[in-house]
Amino acid sequence: MDNRRRQFEAQALPHLDAAYNLARWLSRSPADAEDIVQEAMLRAFRAFDGFRGGDIKPWLLAIVRNCWRNASADTRRRGHAPLPEERDAPLLSDEPSPEAAAAQASEGRRLNEVIALLPNEFREVLVLREMEDLSYREIADVTGVPIGTVMSRLARARALLKEKWDRT
Amino acid sequence: MSCPEHLRTQAYLDGELDGIAASEAERHIESCADCRRASADAAELSDAIRRQTARYRAPDALRARTAALLDGETAPRAASFRPRGFWAGALSGAGTMAAAAGIALALLLPPSPETLAQSIADDHTDALMGARLIQVASSSHHVVKPWFAGRVAVSPPTPDFPDQGFVLAGGRIDRVAGTKAAVVVYRHGRHAIDLFVWPDGGSTLPGNATRHGYHTIFWKSGDLDFAAVSDTERRELEKFVTLVRSAPE
Repeated sequence: MDNRRRQFEAQALPHLDAAYNLARWLSRSPADAEDIVQEAMLRAFRAFDGFRGGDIKPWLLAIVRNCWRNASADTRRRGHAPLPEERDAPLLSDEPSPEAAAAQASEGRRLNEVIALLPNEFREVLVLREMEDLSYREIADVTGVPIGTVMSRLARARALLKEKWDRT
Repeated sequence: MSCPEHLRTQAYLDGELDGIAASEAERHIESCADCRRASADAAELSDAIRRQTARYRAPDALRARTAALLDGETAPRAASFRPRGFWAGALSGAGTMAAAAGIALALLLPPSPETLAQSIADDHTDALMGARLIQVASSSHHVVKPWFAGRVAVSPPTPDFPDQGFVLAGGRIDRVAGTKAAVVVYRHGRHAIDLFVWPDGGSTLPGNATRHGYHTIFWKSGDLDFAAVSDTERRELEKFVTLVRSAPE
């Protein structure tokens, strides 16, 4: 295997779960998420020579997000309805005890649904901040908006989420 | 939510403020009922998301297909194909303001075990991926220990166990769920072991965990919290922890 490929795999593959998680939350479809991540990994590999060090995760997630936008633009052009929810992929979190799992399952599902229903621009900042632990700067890089916009979207996303969560 | 300082409070809670800005935000939160409530809400929400929502894992089939795609790309003919810099495209329009947006500061509430475990695992992988695993490189505790003084509020133990194969390699400063921590770095064969040490803020420590192949062991001693994390075998990491815990200060 050549050196560039090895370098790419060593740096990018540890973030494949993060890439899939973002694609999955953005597209809300397991099948679309897989297509998006494949396309993103291919483009990332081709552009890898242009990556000048630093943290590769935001760089990779920016590509994932662009691929998702292209894919949803294609879908709209072709007039396809979004795919219905398919069965969920396994969760990454550690296995909770059966009792804790039962208690959390219904509440967790509710929270998942509420987040999935947030408008795109709020859902993405929430996922990047709360699940992927990105800083404001990194979220701004991934989403291509100024930090001030990241801050106000994050505040709006949290307010919306709390409002809907309290209501359900 | 109605408070005009709400965004600054949020930035503080997200660990984005540093120094004077952080203490100002802190003082404001103490005096503002709106922001206190917003802080409690945000902490609750953040915790619920981390504990209860799905973080989806890439299916194995996707991993396999990705590898196959890269195989196709690395075939000799395709190897010369280089579209123009994609990063420029990915970043276009990204704000250049506030590049100084700082790093985390202590949060108001002690972080949850889940947040702690995630934070340690992320710090360790980030350090391994980037070039900042070690900020002071030395195998002498006479160098490593004083280096921490003035940089972080704790004085970590820096014992060395070359005979057992755990060699002191250096140290760095990192953040554990928003709190500054001293990280003592050891080499064990081809593996790195990070020993995180931070002031005990009253947090409940997580149980020992394995995430993405990295083992973490937590413990408290005196007024300090400790975590050892590595991708070495769990038994080896346990051996290391036993050595550290029994080493004289």
